[in-house]
Amino acid sequence: MTFEGLRRALERRAPGRWELYRKTSHSRERDTCRGNSRIAERSEEGWAARWWEGNTEEPAAALRFAAASSAEMLAAAIEDAARLPAGGDPVPDLPARGRKSPAPEAPAPIEDPPDLGPALSAAISAASAGTSSLATLAIRVGVAHERIANANGLDVSQTLTAADGVASAIATNTRETGKGKSSSAAAARAAFRFDPARPDVERLARRLADASLLPLSGRAAPFRTGQWLLEPAVAAAVLAAVAPAFCGGRGPSWLSRETAASPGVRIVDDAGAEAAWDGEGVATRRMLLVESGEVVARLYDLRSGKAAGRPSTGHGARPSFREPPRCEPRKIFFEGSSPAAAETLLSSVRRGLVARALTAPVRVDLRADRYEAEFTGVSVIGGREQGPVAGARASGRISELLRRIEGIGSDLQFFPMPFLAGSGTLLVERAAFD
Amino acid sequence: MDWDDAAIARELDRLAPQEDDIADVFAERLTEISIPWRDGSPGDPRIRREAGTAARRRARGAERLAFVSGAGEDAARAAVRTLLGEKPARTGRPVAGGTPETGAAEASRWVRRLPALLARHAPRHRLRLRILHAERHVVAARRPPADFARRLVSVEGIVVAASRLGDEDRLFSFHAPDAGQVADELRTALVEAAAPRARPVPAVPGAIDVLLARGCAAVLFHEILAHTLEADAERSPLSDAGDAPLTVTDLDVRDDPRRLDLFGGYERDDEGTAPRAVKLIQSGRLGSRLADRSTGGRSGSTGHGRRAAASEPPQPRSANIVVTAGSASSEELVRRLGNGLWVDEIHAGSVEPSSGLFRLAFQRARRVSRGRLAEEIGAGYLYGEMRAALRGIEPVLGREVHACRTLGWCARDGRVLPVQGEAPDVLVRGLSLRPSR
Repeated sequence: MTFEGLRRALERRAPGRWELYRKTSHSRERDTCRGNSRIAERSEEGWAARWWEGNTEEPAAALRFAAASSAEMLAAAIEDAARLPAGGDPVPDLPARGRKSPAPEAPAPIEDPPDLGPALSAAISAASAGTSSLATLAIRVGVAHERIANANGLDVSQTLTAADGVASAIATNTRETGKGKSSSAAAARAAFRFDPARPDVERLARRLADASLLPLSGRAAPFRTGQWLLEPAVAAAVLAAVAPAFCGGRGPSWLSRETAASPGVRIVDDAGAEAAWDGEGVATRRMLLVESGEVVARLYDLRSGKAAGRPSTGHGARPSFREPPRCEPRKIFFEGSSPAAAETLLSSVRRGLVARALTAPVRVDLRADRYEAEFTGVSVIGGREQGPVAGARASGRISELLRRIEGIGSDLQFFPMPFLAGSGTLLVERAAFD
Repeated sequence: MDWDDAAIARELDRLAPQEDDIADVFAERLTEISIPWRDGSPGDPRIRREAGTAARRRARGAERLAFVSGAGEDAARAAVRTLLGEKPARTGRPVAGGTPETGAAEASRWVRRLPALLARHAPRHRLRLRILHAERHVVAARRPPADFARRLVSVEGIVVAASRLGDEDRLFSFHAPDAGQVADELRTALVEAAAPRARPVPAVPGAIDVLLARGCAAVLFHEILAHTLEADAERSPLSDAGDAPLTVTDLDVRDDPRRLDLFGGYERDDEGTAPRAVKLIQSGRLGSRLADRSTGGRSGSTGHGRRAAASEPPQPRSANIVVTAGSASSEELVRRLGNGLWVDEIHAGSVEPSSGLFRLAFQRARRVSRGRLAEEIGAGYLYGEMRAALRGIEPVLGREVHACRTLGWCARDGRVLPVQGEAPDVLVRGLSLRPSR
């Protein structure tokens, strides 16, 4: 069975209403954990099909999805899926043959990823005065080729590259007490992307050192309210948690107000530098979601766009061939109309907390307009850091959080969450802590 | 899988010339069927059929793994050759593999039965049925080959139930091996999930004594014992426990993958080793570690080498927590609790081994006042430190053991595996409670 054979099979089954996807990937991963090392080399092929079966005169049809690791297995899976019960789903307008995509390049041989372990270990130790140490490090480099075709004549291909990793550090604090020595420990984990040519080890080390070391201070938040300065990793995590509110036809009611965010806030999604197409073959484009505090656009994939009567914005995300595309941000970030240096934002904090790292995932209830973020950081008075805060929780209304953003830093960074989310340092007025 | 195992094993012998070296090939074929149901109507079904093969060589603390798509003998040979440096793993068409048996036929029984169950016991719902069938094959140097298969069923999502104030969305999860009386168990779980309840009052933060009922103590022990005793886990407050008593002598906790009636059970682990039950707490003292071949040392693997997928390396991971019953009735334990919280369902748990801090999330609980069940409490978290929690366990355990069917999938380092457990009612003093907002 070939790609062409599957196209023909799908056209017979669901004339004019199908989509076929193929991905081949090759990656190498270096994993270091407590003295053990592992190199993993993976060559994977994934296939997926989605089709709407039923009367072609009807606007809705039975939607089914099949994924497999070879064309033959996909053909069998399509037969199996056709026997499963399915509900009616409006058939979206599949993108048509557009500008021709370049033929995929021949895969370049992938070398083992760089061994960042020794440099990162030394940098973490230096950033924490020897208190924190690198525990685990996994680094992956890879390349993937995608091909997407559909019943409307679309047939596009693209090559994607990845260089990312996950690292963890553990800080240990031993102190003398009346009963002898007592020790406490805390761990921190960070997912990151890196440039293989210029990996920014120092920045990652500071992130891990802070996140593991600060919780050991045992100090609670000294204020119940105040300004909240979110370092880029924390701000990006908050944005990633709130991002689903911008997807699909209907957002929460609090987002439709004229002033959904502070006037200086701009929220953008632009994955143009990452990939030419989304997972449904729609061209990637820059989407300005919030401008001057007002929501000016929303993100759609084919299905959510059909439901809302809008075209897809190129946000049919397909993180794996195993799952059908879904409406999701692809590279969302805060963009300040007049970004300030992070140091300037810190100096403008009269009384507040700096969130250096999260200690639990950000929790949001988009419908109820609530968020909750647990973090570790430092307290600040008059623009000067006062001391560590082991753990604090900021909570309240998401709408108020967005409207109280007073400054966005120029130190924009992106983090895999798992879609890319980015932010510079963020300054929020009048936050509530406990 | 139709391989010439002896021929593959001969190639692996070249990769592992020393007695302590490990070389193996692991292949998996799986079919996963997933169907959403909303108020009795099916949504868009999904089917996934995958085949993958990984060869591994481990020597002197360094490991290399090569993965290719496909599960045929040619895939096994391609993966081994990659390790031998004879040929890089392919980036083009995957090497062919056999086709797994028809998944839709396996699912048809559930597709027929589930709508009837839902219509009768929980007519309003947003649930997803997931059936996973996996066949695995392991060939290793100097060891006999092993084959094994598992079929698992999960139903997860929301059940809409009537409460005195109107409709209420309740989280629902049920995980079980697809065998025996699982449909009856599912029916019971649905009836309980959809039963009318009183309006919950918000949980009040602070220290609290808790009765973990209906098997959900398995989640606590999974977090604080199983994860910290996985042989490659980071240091924890239990690392220096030695032979010191940690908890009441009545408490015996094992990890037992041989319990095939539980979601985490298997006959062979993913390195082909027959598993054995490992005592995590015996007579109140810390037991042994859960090991795979690379961490087992002289005593060898305990049969806990598990892979989240063929493309992932094996890791020592927990399977099924099994807690020995005591002698007290549920009523007796509620009386003994006096004032506190009765929790019968925990929907998520986490632990940070290095600090020893853990957290358990619940949607609903009952306050206990003067030894009697009182009002419903809304969603919240129980948290604490693992040694303190073990010290806080009362010496009287429940006499009935319940499987914790809400515990089903465990993620560590992004690798997700089926797990489960069973436990009697366990009373823990001095946990902390925080409402979720």
